[in-house]
Amino acid sequence: MAEFIRFDQITKFYGALCVVENLTLGIEKGEFVSLLGPSGSGKTTLLMMLAGFEAPTSGEIVVNGLAINGVPTHKRDMGVVFQSYALFPHMSVGENIAFPLQMRGTARAEIEQRVARALDMVQLSALRDRWPSQLSGGQQQRVALARALVFEPRVVLMDEPLGALDKQLREQMQLDIRDLHRRLGLTIVFVTHDQSEALTMSDRVAVFNKGKIEQIGTPRQVYDQPATRFVAEFIGETNLVEGVVERVSGGEALVKLPSGATLCAVADSAVAGQTVHLSIRPERIDLSDSRRPGGNSLETEVTDSVYQGDHLRVQLKNPAHPLIAKLGRRSQEYPPGTKIYASFAADDCRVIAP
Amino acid sequence: MTRLRSRTARSLLLLAPLFVFLVWFFVWPLVGMMSQSVSDSAVLNLLPRSAGILTNWDRRSAPSAEMQQALIADLRAVQDTQALGDMVRRLNSARSGFRTLMTRTVSAVSDPAGPPADLVSIDKRWEKPEFWIAIADALSPYTDRNLLAAIDFGRNAEGAIEKLPPDQSVNLVIMARTFWIAALVTVACAAIGFPYALIAASATGWKRDLLLGAVLLPLWTSLLVRTAAWFILLQEKGLINDLLLALHVTSAPLALIFNRTGVIIAMTHVLLPFMVLPVYSVLITIPKNLMPAAASLGAPPWRAFVRVLLPLSLRGIASGSLLVFISAIGYYITPALIGGPGDQMISSIIAFYATGTANWGMAGALGVVLLVATLLLYSVYARISSEEPGRA
Amino acid sequence: MPLKLTRAVFASLTVLFLIAPLIAILPLAFTSSVILTYPIPSWSLRWFEELFTADAWRRAIVNSLIIGGGTTAVATALGTAASLGLRNHLLFFRGSFRTLFLLPMVVPAVVLGVGLQVLLARLGLANSYAGVIIAHTVVAVPFVVVSVTGALSGIDKRVELAAQSLGAAPATVFRRVTLPLAMPGVLSGAVLAFATSLDEVVLTLFVAGPNQRTLARQMFSSIRENISPAIAAAAFLFIAATVAIGLVVVLSRSMMAKRR
Repeated sequence: MAEFIRFDQITKFYGALCVVENLTLGIEKGEFVSLLGPSGSGKTTLLMMLAGFEAPTSGEIVVNGLAINGVPTHKRDMGVVFQSYALFPHMSVGENIAFPLQMRGTARAEIEQRVARALDMVQLSALRDRWPSQLSGGQQQRVALARALVFEPRVVLMDEPLGALDKQLREQMQLDIRDLHRRLGLTIVFVTHDQSEALTMSDRVAVFNKGKIEQIGTPRQVYDQPATRFVAEFIGETNLVEGVVERVSGGEALVKLPSGATLCAVADSAVAGQTVHLSIRPERIDLSDSRRPGGNSLETEVTDSVYQGDHLRVQLKNPAHPLIAKLGRRSQEYPPGTKIYASFAADDCRVIAP
Repeated sequence: MTRLRSRTARSLLLLAPLFVFLVWFFVWPLVGMMSQSVSDSAVLNLLPRSAGILTNWDRRSAPSAEMQQALIADLRAVQDTQALGDMVRRLNSARSGFRTLMTRTVSAVSDPAGPPADLVSIDKRWEKPEFWIAIADALSPYTDRNLLAAIDFGRNAEGAIEKLPPDQSVNLVIMARTFWIAALVTVACAAIGFPYALIAASATGWKRDLLLGAVLLPLWTSLLVRTAAWFILLQEKGLINDLLLALHVTSAPLALIFNRTGVIIAMTHVLLPFMVLPVYSVLITIPKNLMPAAASLGAPPWRAFVRVLLPLSLRGIASGSLLVFISAIGYYITPALIGGPGDQMISSIIAFYATGTANWGMAGALGVVLLVATLLLYSVYARISSEEPGRA
Repeated sequence: MPLKLTRAVFASLTVLFLIAPLIAILPLAFTSSVILTYPIPSWSLRWFEELFTADAWRRAIVNSLIIGGGTTAVATALGTAASLGLRNHLLFFRGSFRTLFLLPMVVPAVVLGVGLQVLLARLGLANSYAGVIIAHTVVAVPFVVVSVTGALSGIDKRVELAAQSLGAAPATVFRRVTLPLAMPGVLSGAVLAFATSLDEVVLTLFVAGPNQRTLARQMFSSIRENISPAIAAAAFLFIAATVAIGLVVVLSRSMMAKRR
């Protein structure tokens, strides 16, 4: 598939501060791409440049084969949903949604129809004549969404749109937006710092750090196969263990830990003699009384275990490293001091670029 | 980057009209007033030839024929009688006797039959260097005379700065009076305004609305209406005297108007809102739980007040006091209408010089004093009120 | 509780001090007597009649309206434009501009009056409506700047960005979004400018000729020279206007608050 949006070697400076550094990213038509990262990582700036609120210091933004660097915001045809909703406080809900259609000179009768349809889509038909200040946060968010979609923009940009909502509402809205994306075939670029939100909603996730993309891939890829230590730590919880590569063969590496134990790990690129980190997701660790054959097993001792409702969280002490394991709720209790083996498959243990 | 530059250009374009307007009609008049206070061209404008020659004179020797001829030529050329009057007044203020001397000289030199050969033949006084020194001194386009006179100083015949004789020195008295009245009004406003703001900040619901409304309503009402109202209340047959007589507090009407008492009462009324509002706005930012916290730590109410509430509200009191004081020293209307002759403040004197005697130099000089005092106090005020709360 | 009682008494006395003078003057507007004192012998509207028929008062009222209207228009236009310019946070000397714009509020009126009298005479504007309007605008414009800057700073920048992204060109964003949102501030700035002009005496003393005598100026000289109940009638008009203006401002504020 051809790339619909392309950021080509984009760099952005604020004064002497570099917020986006030589970044290249392609997005396909109909795709839902999340830009995920901590605040200050450049993800919002990238979105603002796509919307035309900021201009890149260098590099080119191409949409549908045309460079749009010089195109002013109001001619870019992109629907933007802001974190603070940015509804016009002096216009009613209906007027807010009609605004982009009026800007495009749509006929009055058609505006009526399309506003009604948009309100129906976000289930707010009853609130058409209310003022934005009379709506709840979730309702305001739906109005903002309807306003950004009603003129059928080429792309919908969302800047932390759910950040101000409480947890339950946020999860409902996540599913609603996902549903709209599928139903209308929208191209959506979604900025968030919430990793679970990014994993829930996106076709692909781009993980940002310090103005660069650390990794881009499907939610499964970025979670299961983190490319860098930053990605491994930022997305979900992980155990990081340091060791030295002994030998590499066929995408697998044998890594020797300081304690003397060796682990078998998936390695995309590793050289014998290199010091590396291994990432092991806590929920992939099993505890057993004896060493398990055909996988990795480490001899450990339980220091504490906490019941957390949906799982049991066990802290383990190994001669070299503390480990954390998350066990399903059917597992037994492990009193502190219990000697036990922590086992995990070679597939669940990955060598991470240093 | 071009977008940034065009944005700056647009902002500047929007600012420009008001900027030009204020530079022209606000900054320029003030600068003009300042330059007026040091400008001294009444003599120079009329005597250009004399000015050229007098620069070479040694100020001791007898006036030369050249000097006399130049002065005769200058005086013959004068057309503008008003300018001539200004010049004579200026010279007479430097040395008495110039008025008669000049009157006689001017009529002699403009004799249609042709001017006399020299000035000494018109009047013997032209032999004396003192009169020529006075002219020479008055020829400089700048003078510190007005600024010195504004603080009751002047230059003696030798040019040294000295205090003016008591019969000519009223300005310092008036300045002292201005600051004293302003200080009294500030203290009165603080004494009433601080407790009032405390009560208003601790009140709730309609009581708070009422207390604040009582402050805002006068603030919104015309100053003249308020002054007229006090005129009605304070006059000899006014409501206050009626009340006092009816209650048998006094047997004869008290003198409340055209004196200091009336001025202080009326100015306190006018300026009280400027004290209450800043104090109130600081007080409502103080967390309500501080006083209970102090009490729980063992402080009796008055100590909690002195150690907690008072220090935290000092910033509001300071900015309110400065605001009241700054406004008070520039007051004109209230002292002019409610005060007596002994209660006039700097503004009244400036107005007197400007409109009464058209002495722009003195009006400007006193204006500079008032302006400098106001701007200094305002810069302190601006610093205090822009400081972060908590750093008070 | 004695403390509570003291507080109540103190607060009541201060409220009395603040409000009583304003109330005391009102009934005298309706006196039939020629002297401005209580008790009122009988009620009459003769002083309002005087106000609207006597030449000096009638002209003063008309002059106040002309000069107030002119000042409001000029000050609102200049102040609103400048406030929009001040929105740009990247502007050099932004703080200095702001200080300059607010300074006329601080400088003593007499000092400014002396300077303006000389300048306007030199420009040939002495004793003219234009001169008085200029002088009033200088002192009225800070109120417009404060009021409009306040309203503008309350606008969420993202609302304007949203309008852009929805297809509005910059001029349209200004017309459809920025201006309507700043309108309450512009209106109350205009009201304050008018009120300032209406109440201005000192500058008027210096720059106005006998033909530009305003209502406030006329009240000033009539208190000074021949005080009569016409003053109370004029004061009644002022207070009525104040209450009306106050209502307008409160209403526009609450309109603004309702939308937020």
